[in-house]
Amino acid sequence: MNDKTLKGEPVERVVELSLPSKLGYERVAMDAASSLANRMGFHPDRVEALKTAIGEAVTNAIEHGNQHDEAMKVIVLLTAREGELIVNVEDEGKKILDHSMIAREPDIAPKYQPGHVDRGGWGIWLIRELMDEVQITTAPGGGNLVRMVIHLEK
Amino acid sequence: MELSFPSELGYEVVARDAVAAFARCVGIDKNRIEDIKTALSEACINAIEHGNQFDANLRVMVTCKHNGDHLTVEVRDQGMKEYTAGGKPLTIEEKLAGLGPLRGMGLMLITELSDGAEFVPVSQGNCFRLTFSVLQPAICHHS
Repeated sequence: MNDKTLKGEPVERVVELSLPSKLGYERVAMDAASSLANRMGFHPDRVEALKTAIGEAVTNAIEHGNQHDEAMKVIVLLTAREGELIVNVEDEGKKILDHSMIAREPDIAPKYQPGHVDRGGWGIWLIRELMDEVQITTAPGGGNLVRMVIHLEK
Repeated sequence: MELSFPSELGYEVVARDAVAAFARCVGIDKNRIEDIKTALSEACINAIEHGNQFDANLRVMVTCKHNGDHLTVEVRDQGMKEYTAGGKPLTIEEKLAGLGPLRGMGLMLITELSDGAEFVPVSQGNCFRLTFSVLQPAICHHS
């Protein structure tokens, strides 16, 4: 791959995916990202981390952002740049995430109280642990946007 | 499912792996998925090489639909050049006998591996539609 344009600017190569909001389809995004990361030369351990992070982000978009509405799409942009891969996961925002509620550390103790069924809530924490940069914002179109960056270590 | 990528050789592998994951998700047999992967890769390479003439600024679009008993995959390019097969393709034996170039087997391979393969009219570019019969019930396994 040539990594610079004739003007010396970094070349961006973008793969765009549009998925229905149905659990299971996060695997399509995981495998597409894995394939691109392998092509870029990422270490296998980093590829596994990337797959886990994307799987969590797309699952969140399906479950929370689009509320399992299969007519709503999850858009995944994979942008390959020199030395890094940028991943944007955007939903249609049927439910906008309360950014103040996205804790940096999951509150573990209540989840192990007797009778507590929901073991979820680890996704964002896991994404932050696995990726080099993470931003969670509201997209221009009104949906939730998770932007993740993973650096290619030489 | 829809996917698009730049017209650069190698990106057909990304499309192949995404469509294979989609096919697994809807419950297609793993041997049939290998056929789909090979046929799709050939179709994408044709779009990159012939339709978009290796121009990385142009895109290849892949659409994948499952309707219960069929998987339909469309591969579209932005049509720098209308793609034509150029008559009846030579057989492998004819090619090995030196009667033609060793390349140019893509369409024959696609036709052998799919249940339907045809160019369909679109306003711009080339659109190649592949159809695969699906015998298994649709099952989507959450990761």
